[in-house]
Amino acid sequence: MYEPRIIAFLCSWCSYTGADTAGIARIKSPANIRAIRVPCSGRVSPELVMRAFDQGADGVLVLGCHIGECHYDTGNHRAAKRLPILKSLLTFAGLEPERIRLDWVSASEGDRFSRLAGEFTDSVRALGPVQWRVSHDWKPVPKWNLPATQEVIPYPETDFTAKEDAIRAKARELLANGQVSCVIGYELSRRGRTRPVFIYAPEEANRLVWNQDCTNNLTTYLTGKLRPVKGKEPPKPVAVVVKPCDSKAINVMVAENQYRRDQVYALGVSCEGIQGPDGNLQTRCVTCQEAVPIVCDALISGATSSFIPRLSSYAKEEITKLQDAAPSDRMEFWLEQFDRCIRCYACRQACPMCKCPECLYERDESTFVGLGIRLNEKRTFHLGRAYHLAGRCVGCNECERACPMNIPIGLLNQKLAEEIEAAFDHRAGLAVVPSPIVTVLSGEYKEG
Amino acid sequence: MGKPDPDKKHWLISQSELESWLDGIANARTLIAPRLEAGLLLYRPVTKSDEIAWNRQLPRSSPSGRPVLSVKEIFFPPTEVLFSIKKTGQEIHLAESFPDWETVVFGVRPCDAHGVKLLDALFLDTNPVDSFYARRRENTTLIGLTCQSLESTCFCTSVGGAPDDAHDVDIMLIETDEGFLVEAVTEKGRFLIPGGEWKETTVTHRSSNYAAQFPVPDKDNWPEHFNDDYWSKISERCLSCRACAYVCPTCRCFAVRDETISPGEFERIRCWDACAGENYRRVAGGHKPRAEKGERLRNRFYCKFYYYPEQYGLGTASACTGCGRCIEVCPAGVDITEVLIDLEKPA
Repeated sequence: MYEPRIIAFLCSWCSYTGADTAGIARIKSPANIRAIRVPCSGRVSPELVMRAFDQGADGVLVLGCHIGECHYDTGNHRAAKRLPILKSLLTFAGLEPERIRLDWVSASEGDRFSRLAGEFTDSVRALGPVQWRVSHDWKPVPKWNLPATQEVIPYPETDFTAKEDAIRAKARELLANGQVSCVIGYELSRRGRTRPVFIYAPEEANRLVWNQDCTNNLTTYLTGKLRPVKGKEPPKPVAVVVKPCDSKAINVMVAENQYRRDQVYALGVSCEGIQGPDGNLQTRCVTCQEAVPIVCDALISGATSSFIPRLSSYAKEEITKLQDAAPSDRMEFWLEQFDRCIRCYACRQACPMCKCPECLYERDESTFVGLGIRLNEKRTFHLGRAYHLAGRCVGCNECERACPMNIPIGLLNQKLAEEIEAAFDHRAGLAVVPSPIVTVLSGEYKEG
Repeated sequence: MGKPDPDKKHWLISQSELESWLDGIANARTLIAPRLEAGLLLYRPVTKSDEIAWNRQLPRSSPSGRPVLSVKEIFFPPTEVLFSIKKTGQEIHLAESFPDWETVVFGVRPCDAHGVKLLDALFLDTNPVDSFYARRRENTTLIGLTCQSLESTCFCTSVGGAPDDAHDVDIMLIETDEGFLVEAVTEKGRFLIPGGEWKETTVTHRSSNYAAQFPVPDKDNWPEHFNDDYWSKISERCLSCRACAYVCPTCRCFAVRDETISPGEFERIRCWDACAGENYRRVAGGHKPRAEKGERLRNRFYCKFYYYPEQYGLGTASACTGCGRCIEVCPAGVDITEVLIDLEKPA
């Protein structure tokens, strides 16, 4: 008979002792459980759970002290917020949700430990062997076609000159009176591509442009520009041209103490949507409902010719379509997408939130993911990154835009954003509030 | 090309002849050809010729038929297992597995083929020879196809290439109004061509005179610009991702690491790496000699136009094939042609 391999992360104070209690009382527990003793359920980072599945675990059980009884006060609160989000992410990627379980067992509850372990083992056994780890010979059978269902809205003819002039005037003024050291905006390259530019002198302000191709989220450069350097004067404020979606990133980064709000002068531009490479409105813009930046010190909202109708359903439809599919189909969908990944990290580098000094998935000594540019590693990177953005992603979708391999990374972020909103009433970047996932007590997870 | 070489033969074949030839190849060997996947043109294995994205069916995003990734990935794959180790009891087994299947790549663009030639300088022509690369190279036949048009980012003509350059392929196909003109360039290529079935022709393709789009600075002009402020200025927008290096037909840096597969089972793998990454040059103790973005981006350009040609004796040639992929994929709009033009300008 098939016997599942189950990794159980047991908190040293309650659950591990609880398992011990079960043993002393001679209460039978399934032999499938491989117990790993951790100081606290709050120590069980999502990477550990993902690593267990990557290495072939059929199920992962996380047990901690009952809420209110954590020996470190708040460790189990962290677990209570992280695990459900991780579970929904892995489920979205094709894992059966029954393979992850978080519960509480106190030191005296030997019978409870035995019962939970038994229940969990039975439910995993019923599912059969896990199909998570992919063999290196796996080849996708392309059958999913996401872009085909996409709603196409051609970008209308629009006059941008008024806004462009206003941006240039404002930039000139800010640089001339010394309010900022640099204005980060958009320019036209010699081959006519719109790209980021850094303006330091008022007379250079005429290089700034505004048009339908201003796609980069320029706030991604702020962290580098405003990082204090030892032995040097603190960096002067920087002005940055922001669209509504981009502007929210400032709130998140300020909440995470990456820089202060007064170091950034947000030159907000009202937005009609940005054009994709095919001449149509970008996918993210099709569903965007914000026309005015949430964070801005000056608003530039010159009259433009036409209003672009927005849909609110596209991304939702895609997510629902995936959610309704069988786990194995979902898995296949994502493997097919990740198979194209070349681990160039363009998604991460373009992201205004991915600002760790050293990415967890790139460390030499990383035990969470290997060096390989192979399917397992690629999936771990993408899912791990999506998790790290939970409650932080503002939906600018730069990751997807930067991806040279057309991987719908944005769907993962969108899915987790929905999950976070349902669970914590939190939407990233609307105010200077950190993600409920990275905080401890604010925002308890709502069941269901 | 010009004068017909008595050793070479030329044939004129129709689209259907070409397709049945390719079908035959696909039956006996691995056939890799440009195929559309998720709206992208990629070199992928095909089992039948109708899976190939033909020149006339190309997506608007790549009118010239230039796949997103270069043909490099076939010879120098993103991940290669160098050897695996298995420990059973007291015994330790070491196993190498060399790729030994015969592969034919169809639809190779001249710039990509030239990229392979450039990689040869390092992997084949310099000791120690890279046995994995050598094995793949030996087992692979390249069938080139002329580009129908130049893409806006293409600049092969400026670095010595041309959309119909047949120097670095085994067989060259030139699409004409009457059909495909086939030219067997190498012995290996002729081996693939069926004997009497095809109509031989005396018509040879005359390379149209492609003028360079812009002059590329001489190799010896590079060192004097090393300390210019220019590099930190143009690199400000660089995001330090590795997209440019990974799509490049000649970027060939790799990292090697031993990894555990399961208890008692290990493998040594080598994976693509790129100088744009912050940790690329990190040394023991954590020091990064190229900590600044500008230094890293500068390295990319110097590697193409100075270090590599200098080190591997390319003469006046550069290690850039002008395929323009790095310009196409850069999420921040870094443009290699701007650098070349700026450097050529008198100060």
